[in-house]
Amino acid sequence: MTIPVFRFAPWQPAEQQLDHIAPAPLPSPFTPSVVLASVAVLLLLCFVSVGPLLWPQSHSTQWLSQVSLGPTTARAAKVVRDEGLWRPHGDVRSLRVADANTERVRLHWPALPEVKRYQLYRGSGLDAGLGLPLAISSTPYYEDRLQLRRALYRYSIADADTGLLLFSVEVRPQQAISEFEARLQGLIVGHKTTLPSTIMLPAHPLGTDALGRDILARLMAGGATSLFVGVVAPLLFISLGCILGAIAGYAGGVVDQAIMRLADFVVALPFLLFMILFRVAFGIGPGENGIAPLILAMLVLSWPSSARLVRGQVLALKGQPYVESALLSGLSTAAILARHILPNVLPIILVAFSFAIPQAIFTEAFLSFIGMGVSPPSTSWGAMCNDGIKTLLSHPRHMLLPALFISISVLAFNILGDALRDISDRRSGGVGR
Amino acid sequence: MLFYIARRLLFAAFTIWFIATATFFAMHAVPGDPLTQEKAMSPAVRAQLEARYGLDKPLDEQYLLFLGNMLRGDFGISFTQENRRVNDIIREHFPISATLGLAAILIALVGGVAAGSVAAHFRNRWPDRAVIFAVIAAISLPGFVIAAMAQLLIVRLNSAVDSTWLPVAGWGGVEHVWIPALVLGLGTMAYLSRLMRASMLEVLSSDYVLAARSRGIGPWRLFWGHQLRNAILPVVTELGPSIAAITTGGFVVELIFAIPGLGRYFVQAVQQLDYTVIMGTTVFYGAFLVIVVMLVDISYGIIDPRIRLTSGRRR
Amino acid sequence: MSLLEVENLSLHIGALHALRGVSFSLDAGECRALVGESGCGKSLTAMSLLGLTPPGAVFHADAFTLAGEVLPAQGSPAWRRHRGADIAMIFQNPMTALNPTQTVGAQLAESFVLHRNLGRREAMTAAVALLERLAIPQPAQRAAQYPFEFSGGMLQRVMIAMAVACRPKLLIADEPTTALDVTVQAEVLTLLAELQREQGTALLFITHDLGVVAEIADSVTVMYAGESVESGSVAQIFNRTAHPYSAALRAAVPSLKQDRRPEGIVGSPPDLRREVTGCAFAPRCRQRMAICEDTVPEFQCGEGQRVRCWRWHPDHPLRWREAENG
Repeated sequence: MTIPVFRFAPWQPAEQQLDHIAPAPLPSPFTPSVVLASVAVLLLLCFVSVGPLLWPQSHSTQWLSQVSLGPTTARAAKVVRDEGLWRPHGDVRSLRVADANTERVRLHWPALPEVKRYQLYRGSGLDAGLGLPLAISSTPYYEDRLQLRRALYRYSIADADTGLLLFSVEVRPQQAISEFEARLQGLIVGHKTTLPSTIMLPAHPLGTDALGRDILARLMAGGATSLFVGVVAPLLFISLGCILGAIAGYAGGVVDQAIMRLADFVVALPFLLFMILFRVAFGIGPGENGIAPLILAMLVLSWPSSARLVRGQVLALKGQPYVESALLSGLSTAAILARHILPNVLPIILVAFSFAIPQAIFTEAFLSFIGMGVSPPSTSWGAMCNDGIKTLLSHPRHMLLPALFISISVLAFNILGDALRDISDRRSGGVGR
Repeated sequence: MLFYIARRLLFAAFTIWFIATATFFAMHAVPGDPLTQEKAMSPAVRAQLEARYGLDKPLDEQYLLFLGNMLRGDFGISFTQENRRVNDIIREHFPISATLGLAAILIALVGGVAAGSVAAHFRNRWPDRAVIFAVIAAISLPGFVIAAMAQLLIVRLNSAVDSTWLPVAGWGGVEHVWIPALVLGLGTMAYLSRLMRASMLEVLSSDYVLAARSRGIGPWRLFWGHQLRNAILPVVTELGPSIAAITTGGFVVELIFAIPGLGRYFVQAVQQLDYTVIMGTTVFYGAFLVIVVMLVDISYGIIDPRIRLTSGRRR
Repeated sequence: MSLLEVENLSLHIGALHALRGVSFSLDAGECRALVGESGCGKSLTAMSLLGLTPPGAVFHADAFTLAGEVLPAQGSPAWRRHRGADIAMIFQNPMTALNPTQTVGAQLAESFVLHRNLGRREAMTAAVALLERLAIPQPAQRAAQYPFEFSGGMLQRVMIAMAVACRPKLLIADEPTTALDVTVQAEVLTLLAELQREQGTALLFITHDLGVVAEIADSVTVMYAGESVESGSVAQIFNRTAHPYSAALRAAVPSLKQDRRPEGIVGSPPDLRREVTGCAFAPRCRQRMAICEDTVPEFQCGEGQRVRCWRWHPDHPLRWREAENG
């Protein structure tokens, strides 16, 4: 095969018709996880700030009649007057349920001459078996006031001596509230002699805790504390660290030595141990919630890392020709700090800050969990976990819900911190992890 | 190297002194004095108690006395558990905490190194993703939540098989150690495996691993001889802080699993404001951690020839 | 039959078509220089000769044999028998190519243990002997030292010792002098040349330094954008340059003798993430022709000289070329 000669004719290309190789595009920092984390942080902030306005229940109100409830909606409750000891008169032909509500269940049965003492059992109507032995009664009636809820119960009455089963009845108590508690909660005002027959009880979308407090309201209030400590403490100790680091780096000499040796010592201290110690030492006066000593203790113990960071940066930047030229041109120290040093240090500080937040949330949770954090009636997610661990086996929800909130917030802040670090690394020409 | 060790020793001694001093003055800065917490007592009883705990002396004398006693290893008598010496409490309960902590750090180290190595070798494939997911889950859960959930799980498991083949709490045989130790080590394990993964990735992309492969060295020999030792160095530096984290994490794990370790006593003492026990255990724990961190740093110097042979400090 | 035959080597790494046709051969005792600008695939060619291309890379070659034996597939465990024993490599930077936490002696001895089945102690003795032969003073003490205690030039000697330890048939040197001080570069080159002559090893010398090529190599293969564009003896490449890219490379080297300025090559190599059609060098070529849009085969342009340029097609009017070359 021959090739036509004209195809070999020299042909000068246009001068700049050259391929420009575009660099591989950097991956966007807005990965789905980062977006999700941002949304989570925003939602959490809304939850603790706007939440209490939309959900005006108090986090510290205890509902004696509604302890450890599951999720409930708002519902009517019968008001029950406390009448003292119940003593029915007369005889009944068969087992009679005189009253069945969550305040009390009253049973009255025919007296049998051959039985001296009656053994009462209460079990779930859904399970077989007698269930919990309630009491031994010598009278043919009994009033049950033990932790009743709106569930199907089966009461069984047996001869306590022979064990012979005599009666059995299934009861589903009706929601009720005692007059005493209704007055306590302000649902009945004034000393009216005629009581309303029913009262609306508030909803508990996440149920109530072991002391009958609304968990949703507690999560909001606790979150406000946890996030407040989580954001304000790092803000304060990083600011302190920046100031000390800048002074050390800028002044140099004896001042630098003093600050940095102090930082060495503080870093060498076991952190949580000293958090506990300082927290004890600062103490809590009556009526205080314990947040201030907590933040103060963190301030004392956590400043060195950012101080070292800033000092290192200041020292590195001080040697830069453009800072030297600014010095020579007679710029004031403050102006140099603001114009040249701050913009370079700020990204690093921001990254440190974003990683300090989950750390602070963890610290607060740990201290509150061992009872060294906020003190009641204030609460935090860590303190809620501390309350919840006592009912872990019967009502895991009490502990797992605040734990979930701690985990989500820590995770979200960690992801944001990672993203922020990648961006700052990229800006300074480094390569992200 | 000797100079380096001497310097570290001096620094550690200073730090322990600092911890003791800070503890002493922190405890005396507490509003009121320890005895006012107790129920009302007659002035005579009070005077007697003050004399017993040395509270009647001036502060500087008390401080010197405290330092002197501490040097002799005497931390005084408990406030709430009458007649119980703090030394005895430490001697009796610290071995339990130490056993638990040692088991936890071993689990964390071995697990973290293994998980990190596997993740790095299978970068961006499913073992890597699984490790990353587990790490993220573990570092965003507080230690006490992991412990509580583990306990809940054991209870549910026991009731499912209708026997107690895993103890829920308490202390005794080996079966009581490994679950709390695993729970305690989990957070640190996650942290170490993240560290290990990063450093192993760096090693894997290094020239010397490529060069070793170019000499025909097989994967296992490469791992044990060339990759592991280099990748583990940054992990060893973090061992000191990890031990500190596990020690303090032990407080809650001991509390939740009802383990009679020193950590539980410390938390109880803090809650009951038992001043001598707080002071004693804080100084003890502080000294322990400072010494452990120092030992880890020194051993790091021995592992890494670049430091061992050039005597100076790192970098 | 040459010792090493590489014909039309091609390598895809994801979307990147990193090697698009590399062909060369190497006789025993021959030193071939592989030259080209950075990113043209020199090091990848070397890596594929060790079976160490990145995982997931798609590899193809028409011929890929060492001493008549077909080399295993990339990533195959069968490579371990060849690496270090038949084919050895010297890396660019000796400071990073040695394990920092193992003594130099231990790393040297490892090769003997692996490929010569020596015991630990015997391997160590052999390692010390090897260091001594490469004129490293106090070899026994040096063997017990760690890489960071060596100077760069000394370390590169160690690397060379490690590579020649098992007397490989083929030695690959990937820019062995670029990371070194100028003063020790010559020393290392001399050592390499000596060893090659002494052991009769074939040497594949990767470099972008044409001055070094003239000093050490017998033959040259010029690479551009993942393909070998011209191969021939040193004399042919330097005196009868056939490919415009080779000529441009030569023109880019500053010269003391001739009174001319070094000329850069306008533009940049093509983006290998996109498929290249026709001659890859065409957009930067001063002698571009209409036909350069077609994929270029290799042409013979002298005794053993092969070039990938349409100007050497038999139909190309000779007078035009002569006019160009002056």
